[in-house]
Amino acid sequence: MTVDARKSADRQAGLRAGNKGGLESDEGMSPALQSHIGRHIRAMFDEVAEEPVPDHLLQLLKDLDQSGEK
Amino acid sequence: MPQKVSQGLRDSLVAQIGSLRAFAVSLCGDRERADDLVQETLFKAWNHLDSFKEGTNLKAWLFTILRNTYFSERRKRKREVEDADGSYAARLSSRPEQYGHMDMKDFQAALSQLPDDQREALILIGAAGFSYEEAAEISDCAVGTIKSRVNRARTRLADMLELGETDDDATGGTPPAAKSA
Repeated sequence: MTVDARKSADRQAGLRAGNKGGLESDEGMSPALQSHIGRHIRAMFDEVAEEPVPDHLLQLLKDLDQSGEK
Repeated sequence: MPQKVSQGLRDSLVAQIGSLRAFAVSLCGDRERADDLVQETLFKAWNHLDSFKEGTNLKAWLFTILRNTYFSERRKRKREVEDADGSYAARLSSRPEQYGHMDMKDFQAALSQLPDDQREALILIGAAGFSYEEAAEISDCAVGTIKSRVNRARTRLADMLELGETDDDATGGTPPAAKSA
């Protein structure tokens, strides 16, 4: 799906899905604002996602692997 | 239970841990609890690997387990502790106060104010890289529902952070941090 197609699908969904007083739909939200919000969400997510995996989680997999049990 | 999990599948699991942690933190707003969630997710995933069809979307499968774990615990908690909602929202941080100066803390605080389902949809689509169809499957709802949740989440965030029509135009006295360019 192209970006444009998605955007317009978005918009239509917004319009269909209860246009409660204009505030509830993204009608009027500029692509610039959308991408501004998007950048922050990704930055926040990536900050955690890119951290090294904590040892205890790796250890868990190792233990499960060795025990081979439920 | 698989006796031996193939190295490839095991590596794929490990490769998803980062995203799972990020998803968990954004869902529950608490890093310690997030790691518990990831741990539980990995444990469940491992023990149900036989129900996972290799070659299908491992990431989506893991995210589904994690969010189901989170929401079922949350429902339990809600029955036990009356104001689970309030304590959750308060824990992350206070409401954004420095409007116009949208730094990460403000943003996270605003995000934590969103209803669970909207926050989840926004993260799945906006950060975790899922399509609307995948997100709908993960959240077990219609594609249109995901779309409208994402729209409402964006609108609410913009509203809470007092972001105007053009983001560079946000007023509030404090100039934006040197984040542009």
